[in-house]
Formats: sequence, structure tokens, C-alpha cells
Amino acid sequence: MRTGGLVVKALLSAYFWLFLAFLLAPLVVLVVFAFNDSTTATLPLEGLTTSWFSEAFTNGQLTNALVRSATIAVFAAIIATILGLMASVGLTSDRLRLRSLTVASLMLPLVVPYISLAVGLVILLQALAVQTSLTAVVLGHVVIALPFAILVLLPRLRTLDPSMNEAARDLGASDLTAFRLITLPLLGPALVSSFLISFVTSFDEFAIASFLAPSGQPTYPVFLYASSRTPALLPQVIAIGTLVIAFSMALVLAAEGGRRWAEKRLVGAEEFADEVSEENLAEGLVMVAKS
Amino acid sequence: MDAELSGHRYRLAGGRGLLTGQEATLERSPTKTSGRRWRPGRGLLVVPPLLFVALLIFAPIIYIALFSVGLRSNVPGAEVAFSLDNWESFLFGDNNPFRARFFYSMRVALLVSIVTTAAAYPLAYFLSFVARERRYTLLLLLLAPFFTSYLLRVLAWQIMLNDEGVVTWAARTIGLIPDDGNVSWLIYSTFSVSLVLFYTWVPFVTLPIFAVLENMDHRLLEAAQDLGASRWTTFWRITFPLSLPGVIAGFVFVLIPTTGEFITPLFVGGADNQLFGNSIQAFFGTTNWNLGSVLAMALIITVVILMLIFGRFLNTDLRATAGGDET
Repeated sequence: MRTGGLVVKALLSAYFWLFLAFLLAPLVVLVVFAFNDSTTATLPLEGLTTSWFSEAFTNGQLTNALVRSATIAVFAAIIATILGLMASVGLTSDRLRLRSLTVASLMLPLVVPYISLAVGLVILLQALAVQTSLTAVVLGHVVIALPFAILVLLPRLRTLDPSMNEAARDLGASDLTAFRLITLPLLGPALVSSFLISFVTSFDEFAIASFLAPSGQPTYPVFLYASSRTPALLPQVIAIGTLVIAFSMALVLAAEGGRRWAEKRLVGAEEFADEVSEENLAEGLVMVAKS
Repeated sequence: MDAELSGHRYRLAGGRGLLTGQEATLERSPTKTSGRRWRPGRGLLVVPPLLFVALLIFAPIIYIALFSVGLRSNVPGAEVAFSLDNWESFLFGDNNPFRARFFYSMRVALLVSIVTTAAAYPLAYFLSFVARERRYTLLLLLLAPFFTSYLLRVLAWQIMLNDEGVVTWAARTIGLIPDDGNVSWLIYSTFSVSLVLFYTWVPFVTLPIFAVLENMDHRLLEAAQDLGASRWTTFWRITFPLSLPGVIAGFVFVLIPTTGEFITPLFVGGADNQLFGNSIQAFFGTTNWNLGSVLAMALIITVVILMLIFGRFLNTDLRATAGGDET
């Protein structure tokens, strides 16, 4: 398989690179139009300008929506990571009963369609006589981010060497102290991953936010959808979108790089295989992609 | 006390694998024993997350179910009574438009899932068997679009496909269509909705197929070739059958979210190409939450059925990945 078949190999390579071009094309188009000196996103280009960026940053509604989304995402990510850590530690217990039911319940948000979940939350709020609010958006986002947090934290927790904790206990540390001084630092990189994946999930989420965000307080995706219907706003939206794309790519790549660097240092080179980390990344992406 | 301490030491040594021979083999499984000793009752920690999920997933689903059978209403003062009328008209009513929309959505979802999986297989195969050393770097490149906002990607496609968009401009420039011509099915069509969904999911489907190909026992392939099988025969008799769990997992990865999709049609779908998710969305903008709940419940039931049918393949995939982690 690996040796012969040059023609097959060449065909597969060509297919792969063409596909990559197809995947990146829309992003390139966005970047190009962000700098196009025209109010319409059409070719041929009219000239280069950075004015869409400056206009976007002076558009209070747009910047407010960005800040609003980032704030919601920070809260959602913190809560999801804390709940995910509790669930993961709990799931490593040998004595846990109804384990598969527990796992199934915690993973349920992965399969329930967001649109059904969104309307369900609308109904729930109505039944509880609670107004829609940004707090409700945060809670909704915590639910959908929680499975991702668990899927990042649980495998990492399972690979920790229990004897390190035992050593701490033998030296007189309490359960809580051992957890705080041994487990938590070793989990650090995974906690950062969990936070980032939850953050990205929340920041990009549209279905729940479109139903639960009060009408005067749109999140960034909700604002993006509304203003994509307004031709005059489109170039600004594209300009900001380009920045969001660049920022999120840089963030995730930096986080992944940082996590691998930290794990190399923490776990020690002999227990670290590059491929393991890569597969963790792949798993993480599986989750991000769900959004 | 002494005995306990030495017991600890043995366990510790056994766990680290530093001691060999009789002493180390005397004890029970080190992980299990230590788990019982130093973290009693930590299973209780799952309770708060479970309560949270119960309140924000199970309660909404129960309310959707209640609304769908008329036991609740969003109209103040309206009479509530158990009634299956909405279900009956959705399931059996003559020419029910929402049932038609449901089947249209399922057809689109199935088509997209099949084409996506077929397109992803060669990508995974390329990564695993051709791009040996660079495979993880290239995988990362392939997945790069996922780092970016879904809405922005769909918006980008709208910009590319619209009547004055990049694709039309290119077709005019190279003379495929007249200078004022358009391709009618390029946007606001089943084609455009399917294309964007395909675009969204291909990299994602590559992952489980790639994971299975990576964890495959490559000695089997060598054995087949040693025994004289051609490359083609080896692929169809060994590689492909062994990779089926990944293929099915990938297929389900697309099918389930696509079934409830509603964002893509908002941007690139016409009135006739809205999906079932759009019908649900529309109902909750109006007053008839009861009928909307029937649709939302039908979607949840559909997804649960799909999970019951295909869920075990997802487990297979997770196990394979977990196995890779430990080695």
C-alpha cells in the first residue's frame, strides 16, 4: 500500500489539495472583500481600502454585540469547565452507579438539535414566567458546551498516574489538598482547552441566542445575521468577520501549541507522544465542529 | 499501621512498575485499590452537573412534549386539554405541508451525508496512507475552516453564489454563460443548500475515517499483499471493510446535525428550500407553539431513533480513539 501506486498517490494528492482550496476559498473571499473599496461584494475589485474596518469599529451596535458575545462566552466557558470538571472527577469513581445512564444524560446535548433545545428553553422560560435575558443565553450555552468540556477533561483525568496522588496522600495530604496540589496543576492544559472549546462554542452559537437574547441586545452571530440582510452594513460585517476568523484561528492554534508545550513539560518526555496530543486535538475539533 | 504503610508502598511500587517479581504480583490491581482508598464518594460530584442538564435539557423536552399534546398553551387564558389533533394532522393529514417539509429535509440530509462521506474517504485515505509524516499537519489544515464562525462561512458562500457573486462573475469571464446570464440553480436552490452543508461537514467526517485507518492493523494489509492480492483487492477486501465503523460514524456525524439544520437555508435557501428546522423556527416567531412543539418533538424523536440505530458505531469510534491515546 505504502510503496507502489504512484498514479493513485498522485491522484489522491491532487484531490486533497484541490479540496483544500475549495475549503479555504470562502475564507479567502471574505478577506478580499473586507479590503474592497466598494459597497457591494462583487468582482472585479474596485480598489483597496481599510475604511470598512474603521467604520466597523465606530459602529456601536456592532462592537457592543462583539463585547456582549465575548462576555457571554467567558461566563459560559467558566461555568461549563467547572461543571465539566466535577462531572469528570465523578465519572472516574469506581463506585459510581448507573454510570452509562449518567454518561448518556451528560452527553445528550450533543445530539438534541439546537433548534429544538432553543424552542424548548423558550417554552421553559415562559412556563417559569421568566423574561428572556442574556443570563438565559449563558445557561443555554453552558448546556451545549458541557459535553465538550467533559470530552476534553475526562480522557486527560484518566491518563493521570494515580500513584502521584497516592504519594501525596502518604505524605499526609488530604483528598482535597492532593487534588488541589497534584491533580489540578496536571489538568491545567486540559482545563485551558476545555475553556477555549466552550468559549468558541458559545461565541459562535446562533440558534439559542436568537431566541433567548432580548431584542435590543443581540449577540454577535445574531447581529451578523440581521445585518447580512442590510446591504449597507455588509462590508463592515465582512471586515469584522475577517478579524474574528483570524483571531479564533490564532487562539485555537496558540492554545493547542501551548497545551502541547505544557504537557511536554509536565508529563515528561518519555510519557509524551506527539500523536497522542494530535489525536486529542482531533477529538477537540470533533466537538468544536458540532457547533 | 505498619502493615498498612507497607501495603501502600507496594501499591505505589506496583503502580509505577518499579518493583518486579513476587512482591509486586501479590497485590491486587493497583489503580482500583487506590481509587477506593483515596477518593471516597467523589462519584457524588456528578450530581450538580446532572441536575443542571436535567433542568436545561430534560425540562425543556418535557415542556415541548406537553405543548405538543395541548396540555400547555402560551396564550394566556386559553383552554388546555389533552389532544392529539396536531400530531394527527402532522402524521396523517392530507398534504400536510410540514410533513412534506420533513421528508424534503430528510432527503437533503441523507443525500448530503452520503456524498459527504464518499468525498471524505479519499481525504482520510490520503492522510493516513500517502501523507505519512505530514499527516497531522495536513489534517490541521483541512480542519482549519472549523476554527471559524459557521455563520461567517455560510455568509461567504452567499457572497460567492449570489446572482452577481464571485462564481457567476468567473463563469461570465471565461465565457461559460453570457455576460448578463445567470445560472438559476446556483443559489436559493436545493443545490446551494446541499453544497454549503457538504462544505461544512466534509472535514469533520474525515476525522472518524482517519482515526479508524490509523488504528488499523497494517500487518493485515501486508499479509494480503504477501499472499498475492493486488492493491485493489487488498483495499476492497481488507481496508474498506475494516474502516466501515469509521465510515458509518462519519455518516452519522453529518446526518444527525443536518436533520435539525436551519441556518444554511436562511442564507442560501429559497422559499422552497427551507428545511424542517426553519419550520420549527418560524412557529416560535408566531403564536402557535402547540403545532411548533409537535414539529420540535418530531425532530427530537427522529434524532433519538437515529442515535439508537447508529449510536454503537460512535462508541466503536470513541473506543478506537481512546485506545490510540493509551499507546
